[in-house]
Amino acid sequence: MTYEIEMIGIRKEFPGVVANDNIDFAVRKGEIHALVGENGAGKSTLMNVLFGLYQPDAGTIKIRGEEVKFNNNLDSIAKGIGMVHQSFKLVPSFTVAENITLGHEPSKLGFVDKDAVRENVIKISKRFGLKVDPDSRIRDMPVGIQQRVEILKALYLLSDILILDEPTGVLTPQETDELFEVVRSLVATGITVIFITHKFREVMAISDRVTVLRDGKWIGTKDTKDTNPKELARMMVGREVLLRIDKTEANPKEQVLTVENLKVLDNRLQEAVRDVSLSVKAGEILGIAGVEGNGQRELVEGIIGLRTAVAGDIRINGKSITKMSVRQRRDYGISCVPEDRYVRGVALRASLEDNLIIENYDKAPISKGQVLNLKKIAQHASRLISEFDIRTPSSKVIASTLSGGNLQKVVLAREIDARPKLLIVAQPTRGLDVGSIEFVHRRILEARDRGAAVLLVSAELEEVMSLSDRIAVLYEGNIVGTVKGGEATEEELGLMMAGITDEGEDQRDSHSVEQQVSQEV
Amino acid sequence: MPSKTTKTSVLLKSSQMFKLILMQLSGLFRKSLNVIMAILAAAVVGSILMLIVGRNPFVVYRLLFQNAFGSERALFITMQRATPLIFTAISSSIAFRTGVFNVGVEGQFFIGAIAGTFVGYAFQLPMILHLPLSLLAGFLGGAAWAYIPTLMRQKLGISEIITTIMTNYIATFLISWLTNYPMRETPLVAETPIVQNTARIPQFVNLNPNLAKGTQAHLGIFIALAVVIITWYIFKYTKLGYQWRMVGLSALFSEFGGINMDKTFIGGMLVSGGIAGLGGVVEILGVWRRYKDLFATGFGFKGNLASLLGGQSIIGSTIAAIFYGGLEAGALGLEWSTGIPRQLIDIVVGLIIFFMAAQGMWSFLNKLKLKNGKPGEGMMAFVKRMFTPKRKEETL
Ligand SMILES: Nc1ncnc2c1ncn2[C@@H]1O[C@H](COP(=O)(O)OP(=O)(O)OP(=O)(O)O)[C@@H](O)[C@H]1O
Ligand SMILES: [Mg+2]
Repeated sequence: MTYEIEMIGIRKEFPGVVANDNIDFAVRKGEIHALVGENGAGKSTLMNVLFGLYQPDAGTIKIRGEEVKFNNNLDSIAKGIGMVHQSFKLVPSFTVAENITLGHEPSKLGFVDKDAVRENVIKISKRFGLKVDPDSRIRDMPVGIQQRVEILKALYLLSDILILDEPTGVLTPQETDELFEVVRSLVATGITVIFITHKFREVMAISDRVTVLRDGKWIGTKDTKDTNPKELARMMVGREVLLRIDKTEANPKEQVLTVENLKVLDNRLQEAVRDVSLSVKAGEILGIAGVEGNGQRELVEGIIGLRTAVAGDIRINGKSITKMSVRQRRDYGISCVPEDRYVRGVALRASLEDNLIIENYDKAPISKGQVLNLKKIAQHASRLISEFDIRTPSSKVIASTLSGGNLQKVVLAREIDARPKLLIVAQPTRGLDVGSIEFVHRRILEARDRGAAVLLVSAELEEVMSLSDRIAVLYEGNIVGTVKGGEATEEELGLMMAGITDEGEDQRDSHSVEQQVSQEV
Repeated sequence: MPSKTTKTSVLLKSSQMFKLILMQLSGLFRKSLNVIMAILAAAVVGSILMLIVGRNPFVVYRLLFQNAFGSERALFITMQRATPLIFTAISSSIAFRTGVFNVGVEGQFFIGAIAGTFVGYAFQLPMILHLPLSLLAGFLGGAAWAYIPTLMRQKLGISEIITTIMTNYIATFLISWLTNYPMRETPLVAETPIVQNTARIPQFVNLNPNLAKGTQAHLGIFIALAVVIITWYIFKYTKLGYQWRMVGLSALFSEFGGINMDKTFIGGMLVSGGIAGLGGVVEILGVWRRYKDLFATGFGFKGNLASLLGGQSIIGSTIAAIFYGGLEAGALGLEWSTGIPRQLIDIVVGLIIFFMAAQGMWSFLNKLKLKNGKPGEGMMAFVKRMFTPKRKEETL
């Protein structure tokens, strides 16, 4: 039997790292093939080789039995391969429609035909059941919707083979289910899908077969029905992994964060956070659950100081910080892991050393007076790299050479190492492998037990439920309910996230319905 | 047994380090290769131009080189031409690296020059005070001129790209007026009085008549080199430099990290303007000794080019400024000895920049093309987008 794709003995080396080491990888026609492995295992690299973006140092690729050599991704696109990349490659200032059709714009008299662009996009968005507003600008959208645009962009080029590099990393569970529907309908029309993910739930739910990589090597390929998450985790990490972390009772102390009647606007000057009051004690984790785009980002940015509060008050240990600058707030003991790590969390073109000192570059021993201590900076970086197991050949490389998961560890390392009074973590394990998730969760709990107040924002219900001591549900910029961590059920939270509370009434007022509609078209 | 494993791991580590170093070197090499390729391409096109006007390019290039670097005298002329360009190149690079668009280096240079000239002729002071004060006036003049666009962005939100260009024109008119009316010395020519002896930067010939004979090279080069070393040190070793670099690399990240964006913008702009102004006053006090209206133009633009040529790094743009100065010195000599107009060199430098930009453009278009399918399509899309009318919100 000939395979749709066969990669034989693929080797790809980067300076200091063997990203792919003699990998064999075969995909059957019409199957959904999951590709899993730790952060930095070489998944993206292997797919970039298949997509023609990297030339392998050794090995051959066969498509439908025919040996091919891709010099660039034009060659692979010509063979019907499409890819959605892990990190966004959209133009923030362009609209959805412009992004999707970029480079393939229908034209009239040599000019871009704006109406046709919109129509095409509406057409394919209908056809694949992925709702987007063709006229919204990318920079104004939540990450979840941006990812949807990425997928549409790949589908627009009509491929027979679709590579999805961690497409669900940024999607909410509902959006993930929708994506699965799309993928299944694509497969029904004969398209082959390679699906990279860190979530075993998704592997089990959607794939026909699954291949595991570790440290750049092929570990095994299994029929999904013959394996289970525990086995996959063991193959990936090389040891037993705790899939659900055991957590000790919280021991809450004095109140650290107090937010009172906070109101914050989003980029379009709409009220994204309407009237939020909450509090977090030292030694406690407050989880914020909610469907993405209900004000989570603005809440976090309001507390850290990137957005001004239109109304309300934010206090740390009783002292109001509402008027303070970001720096003052940081110095006052706030740290934050932001949701969009590529944009806010790191400077991609700066070295790891530079990235790791943004929090403490103005404090001893990193600097003395005006002068930086380069030796201490290098030591600081090496210490965090080893403590947080960041996989990189050196602390001098620029951040963009790191794999997605390792980049997240850079941000976490820096923010947790600052030993904050209040630690805000937004989507902390997005894109991380099981081993790293376990590790990050342990670090967050450690921070809590050390006495930090932790505000956890996550679209992963499972994560919120397993980590939080209390859970507040955010819906349309308001907190619609708070429950104890141990007592919440998924159904209960799910209902609240949809805006339905105990009183049995739908929280949407007419204004919010309007907003909802404008987001969904 | 354990010692063996550690040994191999050390070996492995050092081989990795070696590869890493090699990678960084090759990065550097590729960058300079780009520049060298651009220079070669420009030289080829330049040769064609020379052939068209009936000159032998080999002879011309040999003379050019000789007049730039071929003798002691040539070297001093090169030094004199390079001195102001080092200031303006560093000024541009500081702006680039801090994420500020300072297209106003030209105007800041001349405002600094006129401010320093004024202090230089209007006061009677001992040299130990007079010279530093005049230099300070130049620095402050340039910085003050850069403060206008800074304010306009901070208060009114107008992009500094536009306002710095505007202030260049205003500077020209303002100085014309100053040299024609309030500061004019004689009715005959539009020029200021000559600066006092105590405010002059000594020329090499003043120190030793045999040194640098027949050139106007002056000790201002040491001020330029001091500025180079100080800015290099600031960028690499200080907190301020770290803030500047980070803002230049990613504004959003820096904001998140708590760097004060306003302060960085204002600081970058003022220091960039100040160094441009310092370059202006050094040029006056070292070479001209008085401000003649329209004594020269283009220092700012040439500095911008040198900064681009040098990859916007401090050291790189210094080297590029010296190279540019050498070309100018060579072209001057060429004009004297062969009558070839020195504008030819401006064309060659223009071509170098063009080819460098073209390389960047080419890889940019290539990427577009690769991302989007058929070859050439990216270019079409790009061109089309340039001509597509902007949406309303964007033009607002
Ligand atoms: N362009 C590059 N230059 C240098 N090293 C690279 C480059 N791209 C990847 N690497 C390295 O190769 C290894 C494999 O990276 P890759 O991105 O393939 O991992 P991954 O399996 O996709 O991880 P993740 O799940 O975190 O996305 C990593 O150690 C990474 O640092
Ligand atoms: Mg990856």
